[in-house]
Amino acid sequence: MKIVILDGTEQENCYEKILKDMFADDNQFSYFKLKDMSIQPCRSCGACGIKSPGKCIINDEIHPIMKAFAKGEIIVFMTPVRFGGYSSQLKKAIDRFMPLGMPLYMVKGGHLLHPMRYGSKHIIGIGIIEENIPNQEDNFKELVSKNALNMSSTYEVLLLNPQDSVEKAVNELKVLLKEQNRI
Amino acid sequence: MKNKNMVILNGSPRKKGTSYSFSLTIKKLVEERGSKAEIVHIIDYYDGNKDLKDLGSLISACDIVGLVCPYYVDTLPSPVIWLFEKIRSEFAETIKGKGFFAVSQNGFPDISLFKAILGTCRCFSESVGMNWLGGLAYGGGAIINGKLMEDLGKKGAKITSGFKAAVNDILEGKCISHEAQELLTVKVPKIAYRPFAAILNHMSRSTAKKMGAKDIYRKVYLED
Repeated sequence: MKIVILDGTEQENCYEKILKDMFADDNQFSYFKLKDMSIQPCRSCGACGIKSPGKCIINDEIHPIMKAFAKGEIIVFMTPVRFGGYSSQLKKAIDRFMPLGMPLYMVKGGHLLHPMRYGSKHIIGIGIIEENIPNQEDNFKELVSKNALNMSSTYEVLLLNPQDSVEKAVNELKVLLKEQNRI
Repeated sequence: MKNKNMVILNGSPRKKGTSYSFSLTIKKLVEERGSKAEIVHIIDYYDGNKDLKDLGSLISACDIVGLVCPYYVDTLPSPVIWLFEKIRSEFAETIKGKGFFAVSQNGFPDISLFKAILGTCRCFSESVGMNWLGGLAYGGGAIINGKLMEDLGKKGAKITSGFKAAVNDILEGKCISHEAQELLTVKVPKIAYRPFAAILNHMSRSTAKKMGAKDIYRKVYLED
């Protein structure tokens, strides 16, 4: 199973090492530290829908991520929980995912959606809680669930509290990945 | 009621798109009530074309900040989140207690999709100590495609009446009412989604053909 990790954290943290160690011997594992990558914001030009279907015309470092996503089966979004959502670092990559959907519409489960160009994935949203805002956890879960809906994918959410031990976080991660027959 | 100063943040990278058109309408409605409003484009600050300190000064001097933005992959576009992060780290002390509201738009009629994006705006507001005045969702943005409300006939008048109700609430320091959202909600029954999708698909295929696109199903990122 191919796993793609998009790391939208800005600070050094233990989870990067844990994930990298977990898959150290795995050549089907891609890790992208987004803060170190030059990725421009989506300009909503629409080219990826009609002019160059399926391809973003901005020439920057998003393309290796898109290739990994296309082949990937499990996609991990790792981010500090930022105002109940994603950090700008993670979102700068996700905003560029428009070409992953087709410029067409379908109805599924009562929702109007874009069919996905590369099929269904399994999304794992890992949110590292950094401040205490009421209902931010529920909002984060809502966001990951909507991403999964719109990407015709299944999903799970793991919220990590600063007071949790690293061992607990590792165990929860292992459980999630085991459920996907990943480790 | 004392006259107020509002800063409207256009969160779209497109400076003349639907978010800007909505911003213009809100600005006019605010000015009709004797208050002031100024529209700024977040993308100018993100791209470094304008100095973020100037925006900090602008929002420090206003009473109310409004965000009008498109819905990108279920939440705020990355430059808007970037600005929120910057405001929290650099200007949080100067914006405490000011009013904050948000308007978001996309091309899907189901406004339950907006729960996460408006939730993030509320979380931001609480994180920096602003006074959350509520949010509005509009699900017909793609059809408007940047047109001015004045040029949209009955549709534009209905949208404007929704914003008018919201502006009245906001200027009085009240939370945006359900009435405002009700006026903005595009009512497409779910039974109509399939024929609606068929029409949109026909339009997409025709446009692609005109643009010379050979294969809209192409899997570019699996090639080579």
